[in-house]
Amino acid sequence: MLDHILSILIFFPALAAMLGFVVNKESMRSYGVAVATIEFFLALWLWFAFDANASGMQFMEHIALVPTFGINYIVGVDGISLFIIILAAFFTMIGIASLGETKDVKNMIITLLFLQMTMVGVFAALDAIVFYVFWELSLVPMLYIIGAWGGPLRIYASVKFFLYTFTGSLVMLVGMLFMAYFYYQATGQWSFAILDWYRLILPESFQPWLFVAFFIGFAIKVPMFPFHTWLPYAHGQAPTIGSVILAAILLKMGTYAFIRFSLPLFPDASVYFMYPIAVLAIIMIIYTAMVAYAQKDIKQVVAYSSVSHMGVIILGTFALNVEGISGSIFLMIAHGVVSGALFLLVGVIYDRRHTKLMSEFGGLASVMPRYATIFGLMLMASVGLPLTINFVGEFLSLLGFYKQSHILTLLAGTAIIVVAIYMLAAYKKMFFGVVTKEENRNLPDVNKRELIALIPLAVITVWLGIYPKPVLGPINTSVESVVQLMHEKAISQEAKTRIPNLDILINKTSAKEAH
Amino acid sequence: MLSPVNVSIESLNLMTLVPMLIPIVGALLIIVIDLFKSEQHKSLYVMLSLLVLGVDFVALMDSAGVFQKNGTVMGVFDVMLIDGLAILSQFIIVGASMLFIPLALTHKRFHEFSYPEFFALFLFMIAGFQFMVATDNLILVFVGLETASLALYTLIAMHNRDKSFEAAVKYFTMGALAAGFFSFGSMIFYALTGSVEINQIAAVLSANNYEDIAFVLIGVVFLLASFGFKLSMVPFHTWTPDVYEGSSAALAGYMSIVPKIAAFIVAMRIFEFLIHSGVVWLEVILYMGVVLTMTMANVWALVQTDVKRMLAYSSISHAGFVMAAILIGTTQSNSALFLYCILFSFTNLGSFSMLWISRQKNLPAHQQSDHSYNKFAGMIKTAPVAATIMALFMLSLAGLPPFALFWGKMYMISSAVTGGYTVLALIMALNSAIAGYYYLKLIVYMFMKDPIVEDGGHVYSANATLPLKTIIGIAAIGTIFAFAAVNMLLEFITVFVYNSGY
Repeated sequence: MLDHILSILIFFPALAAMLGFVVNKESMRSYGVAVATIEFFLALWLWFAFDANASGMQFMEHIALVPTFGINYIVGVDGISLFIIILAAFFTMIGIASLGETKDVKNMIITLLFLQMTMVGVFAALDAIVFYVFWELSLVPMLYIIGAWGGPLRIYASVKFFLYTFTGSLVMLVGMLFMAYFYYQATGQWSFAILDWYRLILPESFQPWLFVAFFIGFAIKVPMFPFHTWLPYAHGQAPTIGSVILAAILLKMGTYAFIRFSLPLFPDASVYFMYPIAVLAIIMIIYTAMVAYAQKDIKQVVAYSSVSHMGVIILGTFALNVEGISGSIFLMIAHGVVSGALFLLVGVIYDRRHTKLMSEFGGLASVMPRYATIFGLMLMASVGLPLTINFVGEFLSLLGFYKQSHILTLLAGTAIIVVAIYMLAAYKKMFFGVVTKEENRNLPDVNKRELIALIPLAVITVWLGIYPKPVLGPINTSVESVVQLMHEKAISQEAKTRIPNLDILINKTSAKEAH
Repeated sequence: MLSPVNVSIESLNLMTLVPMLIPIVGALLIIVIDLFKSEQHKSLYVMLSLLVLGVDFVALMDSAGVFQKNGTVMGVFDVMLIDGLAILSQFIIVGASMLFIPLALTHKRFHEFSYPEFFALFLFMIAGFQFMVATDNLILVFVGLETASLALYTLIAMHNRDKSFEAAVKYFTMGALAAGFFSFGSMIFYALTGSVEINQIAAVLSANNYEDIAFVLIGVVFLLASFGFKLSMVPFHTWTPDVYEGSSAALAGYMSIVPKIAAFIVAMRIFEFLIHSGVVWLEVILYMGVVLTMTMANVWALVQTDVKRMLAYSSISHAGFVMAAILIGTTQSNSALFLYCILFSFTNLGSFSMLWISRQKNLPAHQQSDHSYNKFAGMIKTAPVAATIMALFMLSLAGLPPFALFWGKMYMISSAVTGGYTVLALIMALNSAIAGYYYLKLIVYMFMKDPIVEDGGHVYSANATLPLKTIIGIAAIGTIFAFAAVNMLLEFITVFVYNSGY
């Protein structure tokens, strides 16, 4: 069974979703929780069986799909993707478990299970076309979730979300077809397998173009400044569960793809574009942090702060050394946990008051003490307080980039202070002071169902903040091999010096030149 | 004194005619039946046509086997040319016709299907298309084209609505103009080279190194205009939305596939050598045509308020997409053309059939046209299965993986990349993104808006019968599981295209 565990992880939710059509409406919630829990335990089993000391791909499966054109169903997992898959399974589980009163709950759960298939598929795919299939397919359930359960502007928001990402990924598809063509020229065979592409050394003159084609697809998904405008709408209109999945998992597809595709395929172009991208990332961090400070709606604050933190992830990725990349992957998980939790928390208060305006609240700490405590903890984690999960990731990302440029890192560091300012200001507005509104006086505190989702998140936040090694170890091993591969593939002298040589042996076969 | 002509019957190779003769015989049979005993139920004719087409399909498989063994076969004074292109395109023509004809078995009674002539004309039309693709003689192309077109005009008019008469007359007028252009263009080539055979024309022209380039260009302009009409390339597309709107949805879906594939094959035969001749001018014209057709049709489709007109514009855009294959002109791109057409025929026929089963006889007050967007509002609540299938077809048309058309799109864009047309590849990709919007619009209406009439679910399948549902089921399965068939199709197509020398 372990030979096919990844396929099971991918297709089990889809199968369950199809069977779910038969399940009675009343029992659907329990069915959804049961399926998602099984999936989560399967994911944990994957972690258990995962060999943390091996740097390469594990649990690989290979089925020919369109062999004439080099398209194969190849899946595999390494330290980079393992934890994001577990995170996806985890969030689907607690997302369904904590689902509030929703209309058409059956459709919602079926959609979430389909969404889970696409999420796991994206992170497990090792063939560019299979990756693309899941990547695009993930748009449809999200479109439906935002469009059918969202706020008043839901149709505008969902269509904008779909079209932005769709456009970007079509440009990326052209890039993928180019890569396959280069591979064909070099070897005489079509292949879309990522591991085959890794062995291809592209001439320096082509790399920037292909890098840009992939970059457009990924940057819209992340979303990087200036492509971020769809995200506040999507978050603003999406139901709680939509925002949680979007922030925790879907956005990570973009940053993950940078590490899986852009860096190892185009090491020279990555170095070439390092500063422009870093500048974009820093604009993203500072600008969205300022925008967040100006928001009146607590959900928008969380949304913009989530974009802001994605900037730190990008910065860490383009540090192009082990500390930076490991840090950024760790931060992806941390950001997933923390921003997912924050959106859940916003959902809790929205369910009670049906408003998200901060001015409507005040003094909630005395009314809802447990809520205020968990919110406070997550907020501290979001600010990057030491001994919380975010701190580890942010610190490593910035440390990594410090080796490339001191000044830019300092700028990014100051932005983190801005994060602290607006987060604490928002907290003050909502929780401290006296209760001004009459409606807020008798708000019930978090109930059992909500605690089921929030307590595990709080535990993870503190646990991985104090002791990140179980996660950081496997990530580090895999990242080392990526960095080494980049160093060996780099052509230009600058790239060779920027990307450190780790002197480790990676299981590479002879690299081939493309013309 | 003339010497007696000695022709052995073997050298005529009459077997090459068999696939075309089968539908002709079938059509005559239908007329004869009507002669002896009229007023038969339409189901008889539908099933007879289906049987005839089935026999035709088997005959085609036979000639495919011959082609795989012996290569290209010529026959009947070398007028017939049975190469890979001819066989592949006939497969699509006959296959799509087999999917189309059961759509006549609607729940409601429609005027045209009560006439046996409808089915006879339909079979004559198929024979015409088959002649058109299985020759490189310009005269036979013309004959086939006209046989098919005249039959098609009549089929449209038989729908017996004001709009369908308008559509038929419009189509007829434009078609006549196109036929005039075609004959004029052929005449110029005949004057230049003394032959009406495309390969002879190519040989003579390259032998004298395109001396009379001015005349060649004039001839090309005429042919281009005539194919522009037939393929509804911008700016010759103006008839398409009106004709599609006027004809029944099923026939409109059929028209977006079969006449076009026939015209594509002829265009491929003619333009292939001209593009490779190094006449830059033609490449530029074709490039512009392709880009304009894709982009403009997409922009127009964005602003439509009627789903059928939207699908009409979208199929113009798809035609532009496929035309790119002829511009690129590599083996890969020509294979991509066939792959695209096969996958497109499943998806597009499916989506038009979905409109067909929701055809109403009278318009309710809240609808401006027969298939306006708001007719489909909130369909997920009233008819969830139909809404899901419709959404599936829309997503496939938009090129969302892993549904059918994605594979065609991907292979086509890849052939542009491989052929060195990088900018074209990007334009194709971006056009797919624009197209995403109007397909999405229908999905938004179906899934995210509230229904206008309560309990109006029966509207969406008012016309449905078991045969119609079966056809839609086949189309849906073909659309979902295309990924399993792509490899087989690709291998098959590439062998046939490559061995025909394209």
